[in-house]
Amino acid sequence: MTTAEFLGIEMPVLLEAFIKVNIVVLAMTVVVMGLIYGERKIIGRFQMRMGPTRTGPFGILQSIADAIKLVGKEDLRPRGADPWIFELSIYFIFVPVFVGFVVVPFAIGWEIRALELGLLYLLATSSVSGLGFAFAGWASDNRYAMLGGLRAVAQGVAYEIPLVVTLLAVAMLSSSLNLGEIMAGQASVPNIVWQPLGFIMFYIAMLAELNRAPFDIAVGESETAGGPHIEFSGIRWSMFQLAEYAHLWIMSIVGSAIFLGGSAWPFGEELGTGYQLLLMGVKSAILIFIAMWTRASMPRLRIDQLMGFAWKVLMPLAFAQVLINGFVIVYDLPLVLLTVQGVAGIALLNWAIQRAVARPAGRPGMAAWAGTSEAATS
Amino acid sequence: MRGLIRSFVTTGATFLRKPVTREYPETHRELPERDRAFPLLLWDQQIDEPFCTGCHACERACPVECMTVLMKDNPNHTSQGGTSSRRKIIDKFWIDYGRCMRCNICVEVCNFDAIGMNNTWSGHESSAVDRLDLVMDLQQLLSQSRAGAVKPWIAP
Amino acid sequence: MTSILLPASHEFETQDIFVNMGPQHPSTHGVFRMVLEIDGEVVRDVLPYIGYLHRGAEKLCETMDYRQGIGFMDRTEYLAAFNAELSYVMAVEALAGIDVPERAQWIRMILCELNRLSSHFMFLGAFGVDVGVLGTSFTYAFRERENIFDLFEEICGDRMMYAYFRVGGLAWEVTDNFVTRVNQVLGMARQGIADLDGLLTQNEIFQARTRGIGHIPAADAIDWGMSGPSLRASGVALDVRRDEPYLFYPQVKFDVITGTNGDVYDRYLCRLREMHESIKIVEQCLQNLQPGPIVPERMSRLLRTPPGEVYIRTEAPRGEYGVYMVSNGGNRPWRCKVRSACLSNLQALRDMTVGHYVSDAVLILGSIDIVLSEVDR
Repeated sequence: MTTAEFLGIEMPVLLEAFIKVNIVVLAMTVVVMGLIYGERKIIGRFQMRMGPTRTGPFGILQSIADAIKLVGKEDLRPRGADPWIFELSIYFIFVPVFVGFVVVPFAIGWEIRALELGLLYLLATSSVSGLGFAFAGWASDNRYAMLGGLRAVAQGVAYEIPLVVTLLAVAMLSSSLNLGEIMAGQASVPNIVWQPLGFIMFYIAMLAELNRAPFDIAVGESETAGGPHIEFSGIRWSMFQLAEYAHLWIMSIVGSAIFLGGSAWPFGEELGTGYQLLLMGVKSAILIFIAMWTRASMPRLRIDQLMGFAWKVLMPLAFAQVLINGFVIVYDLPLVLLTVQGVAGIALLNWAIQRAVARPAGRPGMAAWAGTSEAATS
Repeated sequence: MRGLIRSFVTTGATFLRKPVTREYPETHRELPERDRAFPLLLWDQQIDEPFCTGCHACERACPVECMTVLMKDNPNHTSQGGTSSRRKIIDKFWIDYGRCMRCNICVEVCNFDAIGMNNTWSGHESSAVDRLDLVMDLQQLLSQSRAGAVKPWIAP
Repeated sequence: MTSILLPASHEFETQDIFVNMGPQHPSTHGVFRMVLEIDGEVVRDVLPYIGYLHRGAEKLCETMDYRQGIGFMDRTEYLAAFNAELSYVMAVEALAGIDVPERAQWIRMILCELNRLSSHFMFLGAFGVDVGVLGTSFTYAFRERENIFDLFEEICGDRMMYAYFRVGGLAWEVTDNFVTRVNQVLGMARQGIADLDGLLTQNEIFQARTRGIGHIPAADAIDWGMSGPSLRASGVALDVRRDEPYLFYPQVKFDVITGTNGDVYDRYLCRLREMHESIKIVEQCLQNLQPGPIVPERMSRLLRTPPGEVYIRTEAPRGEYGVYMVSNGGNRPWRCKVRSACLSNLQALRDMTVGHYVSDAVLILGSIDIVLSEVDR
């Protein structure tokens, strides 16, 4: 539905787009504030704490208080920082995220613009934010920031591929790259039934893309002390937060649209837009809740394990999924085969994890410097 | 993946448990009787004067030397026509709470049970902006006991 | 391909970078500073700097009489203050030849083992954060640690700096409901251990992060003078409680937990299992607890020791906590040297860390379980 139909008035395309974008950005800000508050509350409960309680009833105004505090803080820039890159880096992080909202389907027909290659567009824009982390890490003139920034880039590049390939496999099933069409195609059965492995791989890759636990090595507090964020303060730092949570929101909506049937399943078409919005809200909330649960319970991976997992485990499985989907579609085999294959794939994933755990890596540095004086000391 | 699931189950179980947080400034935990905050001087309610005779025992025993004691002749002594049996009494007393390490030795060495560790929250919540504000004089040290707000526990 | 960018003879010059970790870093466990020389993500060298928390506690003890020194011993090891006090008062007792009443010894044992529990809880919590569990393990551990501290506060009035042991016995009698309270605390501690165990031990990511990391062979560990769980993880069954018994440790049954690989995971597991042993010991102590005096009947108020020297070591949560004390006949030690397990264990840091990733450096430091106040004293 276009805004013109909704309001019953004709308006120029640009004005219409302007209104829609404003609504989405406003909604995003509110949702991000809610997410930050929700995450603090929920993780608090996982840790048997109460989370914020001071500001307003149940601490509900915590995000607003944080925002006011952050805006009021001094905007610092280290003396050795590269001014241009330092200040541009945050735009490289949050602009791609905002731009991604263009194709996000909040309900059937409720998107700013239903692009035919919507999925591709979304993945392309969101992968730009890795650049922002590299900029932020490099320009901060801080070694922790640089370590974190480089880690973020390596991780972003590595997990981009399984993410894209798994989503591609689903797109093959739906034979469309348009998010709205993929969603509408699941009115009877959600894709997760045919692609259980795909869903798990998507979720893992999504967490890695978002730099969330257990893949938060870029910002790992106990190692790089905040990584690329380390030198940012006040409003700039809050932009990082905003982008992170907005990205989480987008990804969870996309995930529920692609795998969980979005607002189409069950009975989305019949029960109207309000129900569809509710359905989408609940599904994305579940995905976000699991992400928070993961954050509260998972230790952080190491850089080599992280990369190894992406390249050696996720990537082959994702490509195999594409291949098998292709077979099933081309030869018109029953889709149940995919479910069986998916469960088998999960077992394979489990086996790969167990195998990796059973073989500790040892010291990576020792092999490289065998014979050098450094190696001789121990 | 079994271990990962076990982690999830553990955190999930604690999610359903009640939080253990005590919301501190609103609700104070009840302090045990033996709680040790900072030393206070005690007030003899019967004769209406401090127990302390200024004998310097605590001052000498203090490991961190946070006390300063001055004594004087007791104007309320029976020989002066008063009601007290104390010949000498405390004149000035300072304790630097910033130095005190709350080791309880002053309480142990006191022969008159004249000094005790504050076992109320007022003793714990005694932050000050200036360090000099942490140096307590005789009036401040006595006031709580004089008002009957503190009943320190003194080891038998 | 590279020939387009660079001449064939030109090698790309890379440089190791130095990362200064600490003294203000979230995971250096206090004011510890280490300079890491890193090549990419791999640590090539570690330069530890200690001394940021040096307060001269040993020297201060020389100016204090024996009772006053106890308070300073608390502060040398603030996570297990009872154990630190114990070494000190036992050294003085050995010098002066004082016999401690039985009841006092049993209570000392109970308190020391409970303190070991609280200290290991602290380790598990902080170690979980090092591995990256966002404070969940920390809050689990602190929940139980607070319960133990509540008990300590009821008994001796303070939560961390107890100043409760005295030369010859205890400062005062424990509370009337001591036994029931200890049992209550043990029950809660079991729950806490189960929670932490469930959260971490079997987690695949945790295992992948900790196994095979920071390996130190038994021979090297002995050479560096390591002790406590960090040494036992390498497979050396050295426990002062068993090998050189003090208090009533021969009368209680407990196992000396050892590891096999000497890596970070074993050090973690050793501590986790040791907590169960501590609970066992406390339960046996409670059964043996009889009413009686807590200080010797004939104790002079002014304690003087005959000239002599003594070295007393006890098994603190982090290893061998020794006190070497020389007396020249006065009422204060002529010299009081603390042999800190943390300092010795920290010596092996370089051996353990070099060649691992930066993330692992944090883990390895965490697995030694240092307390900076004990390292620097």
